[in-house]
Amino acid sequence: MSGTQSSLPAPVTRLWEPLRERSRSKRALLLMAPLLVFELLLFVAPFLILLRISLMEGSPDLRYADGTWSLDGYVEVFTNGVLLEPIIYSFKLGVAATGITVVIALFYAYAIWRADGPIKSLLLFSVILPLLTTLVIKTYAFRPLLSPNGTLNDVLLALNLVSEPIQFAPGTVGVIVGQIYIVLPYAVLAIYSVLSTMDWGLVEAARDLGASRPRSFLEVVIPQAMPGIIVATVISFAWSVGAYAAPGLLGARDQAFAIEVEKRLLSNLQWEIATAYSVVMLVLMLASVAVLTLALGRFGGEVEYA
Amino acid sequence: MHRETVENALFRAGYLAILAFMLLPLVVVVVTSFAESGNLVFPPENYSLVHYRAFLEETRWLSAFDNSLLVGVGTTVVATMLGVTAAFGHELDDGRAGQLLAPLVLVPLLIPPIILGISMRVYFVRAGMDASYLSIILAHTLWATPLVYFVMRSVFSRFDWQLLDAAKDLGAGPIQSFVYAVLPNVKHGIFVGALLAFIVSLQEFVMALFLSSHSTKTIPVVAWEALRQSLDPMVSVVSTFLILISVIAIVIATIATNLDWLSKQLS
Repeated sequence: MSGTQSSLPAPVTRLWEPLRERSRSKRALLLMAPLLVFELLLFVAPFLILLRISLMEGSPDLRYADGTWSLDGYVEVFTNGVLLEPIIYSFKLGVAATGITVVIALFYAYAIWRADGPIKSLLLFSVILPLLTTLVIKTYAFRPLLSPNGTLNDVLLALNLVSEPIQFAPGTVGVIVGQIYIVLPYAVLAIYSVLSTMDWGLVEAARDLGASRPRSFLEVVIPQAMPGIIVATVISFAWSVGAYAAPGLLGARDQAFAIEVEKRLLSNLQWEIATAYSVVMLVLMLASVAVLTLALGRFGGEVEYA
Repeated sequence: MHRETVENALFRAGYLAILAFMLLPLVVVVVTSFAESGNLVFPPENYSLVHYRAFLEETRWLSAFDNSLLVGVGTTVVATMLGVTAAFGHELDDGRAGQLLAPLVLVPLLIPPIILGISMRVYFVRAGMDASYLSIILAHTLWATPLVYFVMRSVFSRFDWQLLDAAKDLGAGPIQSFVYAVLPNVKHGIFVGALLAFIVSLQEFVMALFLSSHSTKTIPVVAWEALRQSLDPMVSVVSTFLILISVIAIVIATIATNLDWLSKQLS
């Protein structure tokens, strides 16, 4: 691969040369090159094409009219209530699932950190196993638990807490519970990996100085865990807003963004609308993730992602 | 003293409740796979192996199993090669390429898989390679590589680089010194990274849903389609096998490293 620089096509050379010049070692760059090329071809390029198609005219028979320029797709997204509502629903789902997830995750990560021996292993295992199990399976298991004739309603009825079954799923409650279950393991591990490097002596010192346990948790543990909390929040939010499995299996039909965009792409074959819809959603999502990261960052802690 | 007892009891009740919440859905899946009736009820009224027998007789699940295995192995090979070489290069020299690489590798994990699925479907249709195994493998590699890459960066950061210098001083070439000086020290990390890549591929379904054709459907895709029509206890049977594979993978990874290290790598 070295030595062939002159025979590379011009656009590749244009990208490659500045990288090569700034890099201190050619061998290191050659080792990184395959992954860089892979990301450019499989991630950046598809996105540029997606963006291009979102700016084309629709076509009744060909999904989109090649070579045309038009903002019709975007106009449709911003003027059609049927398309705007799922975006709002998805963001509400994101906020609700993220809020609950981060609180539970912080508590559970703390419990794992404080535990030792077999209990610690069991708690860690309980996080890793769902993490490695497919979304479809995890989510569908909530159907027999949450449906009107499901286990939870049986228990509530037997205890006389409710007089008639509540429809948790299919419905928004089911979607939120399912989504929390999907993102919780990631949130717990993000916080735990930060806590596990923390010095327990600090908490003991706070208690020796008279702080109660909840107070020492609020004023010592949480600020220290902030980098992990930020990562947990960002991941939970990004994945809940884009959620597909939980709304698809536990929701009433046609509410979330992901379900709507799939319909436009596969059933209606309106590619210019589906792609414009995706671009709008992505911009909104990444913008809110950036704002969220900055806002939380003010409470302390730097996010390390590498 | 009394207050502390109450706090301890509440604390324990709290994390045990979450533990139950974490494991309950998986228990539901395994238990319902042994149900006798076709309705999905938990706990089932009667138990039998009827769905296991039906599973072995139905070819769509078995061919989905083959597809998942093929895609999983392909993803593991590609993602491990890309991730290990890039992490090694990044560790040798953190130049401009490295600064570009880290976010580029990370960002796909934050983008909703449905949007990735759509963009790749459009892309592969244009390239004339839609509905092929390769397109699913490449899509899964996009997700599996970050895990391998970040696991390997953490492994290489603990590697004693003087060993590499020593190998060079003794006259080893770049490949020889990697094989004899670096590889033996990082092989557990590579193994765990590869295992994670395989599991990621095995469980991913949204991108696979968009990229698969009738003959290339993986297990989660078939399960998803079966569940959208009706709740099918056969899915519990398949899921039980998948959960079993995950448990075995965790046990193997734990033996190779330890649970605490593994959990930190996954975050």
